[in-house]
Amino acid sequence: MLELVDLSKKYKQFYAVKNLNMFIEKGEIVGLLGPNGAGKSTAISMLSSLVEPTEGDVRFNNKSVIKKPAPLRKVIGMVPQEVALYDDLTAEENLHFFGRIYRLTGAQLKQRVNEVLEIIGLTDRRKDIVKKFSGGMKRRLNIGAALLHEPEVIIMDEPTVGIDPQSRNYILETVKRLNKEKGMTVLYTSHYMEEVEFLCDRIYIMDKGDLIASGTKDEIKRILSAEKTISIQADRLNDSFISKLKQHPTINRVIAEEKEITIMVAKEINMFSTLIKIAEDAGIELNSVDIKTPTLEDVFLHLTGRALRD
Amino acid sequence: MIWQIIKKQGLILLRNPRQLLLLVGLPIILIAILGTALAGMMDDDTTPAIHVKVGILEHEDEEAQTDRFLEKLEDKGLPEEAMEEIQANREQMTPIQMLKKSVFGSGELKEMVELREVKSAEKEAVMSDDSYDALLEVPENFTYDALAFMFLDEPSQPMLHLFQNEGSDIGFSVVKDVVQQFQEQLTLNTFIGKEGIDSSVIKIDKDAFAGETIPFNQQEPVSAQGYYAIGMVVMNVLFIASTIGSMAFLEKKMYVFDRIILANVSRWIYFAGILISTSLFAFLQLMLIYGFSWLVYGVQWPHLLPFIAVSLAYAIAVGSIGVLLTALSFRINTEAILSLFSIIIVSLLAFIGGSFYPVGDSSAFLQRLGDLTPNGAAMSAYLAVLRGDGISAISHHLYFLVIFAFVAILIAAMSFPKRGLTT
Repeated sequence: MLELVDLSKKYKQFYAVKNLNMFIEKGEIVGLLGPNGAGKSTAISMLSSLVEPTEGDVRFNNKSVIKKPAPLRKVIGMVPQEVALYDDLTAEENLHFFGRIYRLTGAQLKQRVNEVLEIIGLTDRRKDIVKKFSGGMKRRLNIGAALLHEPEVIIMDEPTVGIDPQSRNYILETVKRLNKEKGMTVLYTSHYMEEVEFLCDRIYIMDKGDLIASGTKDEIKRILSAEKTISIQADRLNDSFISKLKQHPTINRVIAEEKEITIMVAKEINMFSTLIKIAEDAGIELNSVDIKTPTLEDVFLHLTGRALRD
Repeated sequence: MIWQIIKKQGLILLRNPRQLLLLVGLPIILIAILGTALAGMMDDDTTPAIHVKVGILEHEDEEAQTDRFLEKLEDKGLPEEAMEEIQANREQMTPIQMLKKSVFGSGELKEMVELREVKSAEKEAVMSDDSYDALLEVPENFTYDALAFMFLDEPSQPMLHLFQNEGSDIGFSVVKDVVQQFQEQLTLNTFIGKEGIDSSVIKIDKDAFAGETIPFNQQEPVSAQGYYAIGMVVMNVLFIASTIGSMAFLEKKMYVFDRIILANVSRWIYFAGILISTSLFAFLQLMLIYGFSWLVYGVQWPHLLPFIAVSLAYAIAVGSIGVLLTALSFRINTEAILSLFSIIIVSLLAFIGGSFYPVGDSSAFLQRLGDLTPNGAAMSAYLAVLRGDGISAISHHLYFLVIFAFVAILIAAMSFPKRGLTT
């Protein structure tokens, strides 16, 4: 349905996206995962026809849409990362305006505005000025504005940034519902791996403009089949402990946070007694040592040596 | 589609009381402050800030005219006693001398008004000399006719001719007021004489002046409040351009513009929406403030058609500035150009255009320079309309505004970013 072929965007000497190849089939929810600055927003700006690529092609139903974006624009809905709404208008006025620019009129427009308000759960607040809304409500309305013309494909660029867990869950459930009930194809970008894991059938992982992995969730996790992730928790982690872990020959990676350290080791190695000894030597008392099921976060860590939210 | 953009902009403006206050309330306050302050400055004895240069062209010999009138009285067979009394008060029978010495030559006016005798041969030169605010022309037989009208009940009242330098508003207004009061005083004297009332029982303000009936070259004077109503309006309307530009830039910054483009709305539709909405709101702003000035300050327009024509042309010019600012801010991807315009350029344009003070009165170059700014051209056109001029007299200003708008729109269209350059 939608295909990115060797897509690149270069700003002066810097590649924001380099040789990106992706495809999205009808009815899929595809995740585009990567830390901030990975090139996700640039990629979807090219995909949605807002930005012309430096190289490569975007194909919709096997036809290039770079020079003639109209057929693609008719069927996509875009949810930008920022809340792209008019703060001084009511929820209903915003939807009415965006509906009108999608050429909806009269009874059809009224009906769609009502339906969308229902979908995003803002029917009761339709007459309220947007600037009085909470962050979560604004995000929901931001999604609603992209649904008015009943798009076949919806592109969501980090739609849950900076909102409370309740609103986040509402949005994720809404996306699932739209996909299941309306058959809507979704491209969902995020740097929250748990969102992508929850929603997506297939995942692309980007870092520094490059595509570093792709496949279904299980396929990607299999990248870690040779390693296991161990989470160590202690009240007072110190530099000596972290340093000893990093110097240990069997530990591949060490990610230190305030009260938790994550290490990666070869699957067959039993680290338990080794970890106890290193902790004793460093003078700290461990609270717990857990062997974790690999997550996309672990995959990203494995591939880049950095956490997704670094 | 364009209507949707205009409607949305209008709703957003209406919901911003602070913005509305700045766009409409501020000029109204400024008109009151500056109009009053200028009137105060004109009344200040110690600092006569206004300098008015008036030429006086006499086509008669006033002494000979007075002699002729006295001979006429003798022919009428007036008693000898009455003739002697009239001869004794002969100097009160020279209205032009009175005007020159007792009126223009009196204390405060002497400092403010520079009166120059002009010969017939110099008339054309004086009329085209920008340093003169007005030319007062005394027709042939004026003194004789005036005296005959006053004392012999002759039916026709002679008239002085006052010509205005179109670049002078306040100076001319002063001269007109003086000559009008002069006429009222003489008319009063005539009435008293005819009704047989003893003039000594009526107290006459020494500072009030008398004069003759005056046709003013068919031009109305411009009051200080009228002047500042125009000055503040033409200045403040420029802010609507930066306001709409800022709203458009916010749309871009918040990715609403992208949303509009992704809805397959041509960027030229959006461009036209900005142009038309800025022009429309500028026109409404003009009408609102002028309406208020009419109701509160009594600023009335003698002819509606040229007033509407100037307002439309200026509103379109402001619309073109709005779309140019939008295009440039989109192109360079910063709001700096909008801030620069609203903080510095508007003030500069307002000064050159004469919004704060009639700078053109002090220099013909500044006047020409002012007329080359959209607000200055609109101001000159509005002042001319307020003085009673018709469309033909202001056509060059209208052409300038239309050409300015066309050029600005053209530059805006060339600067407006194409696809891929907006994000």
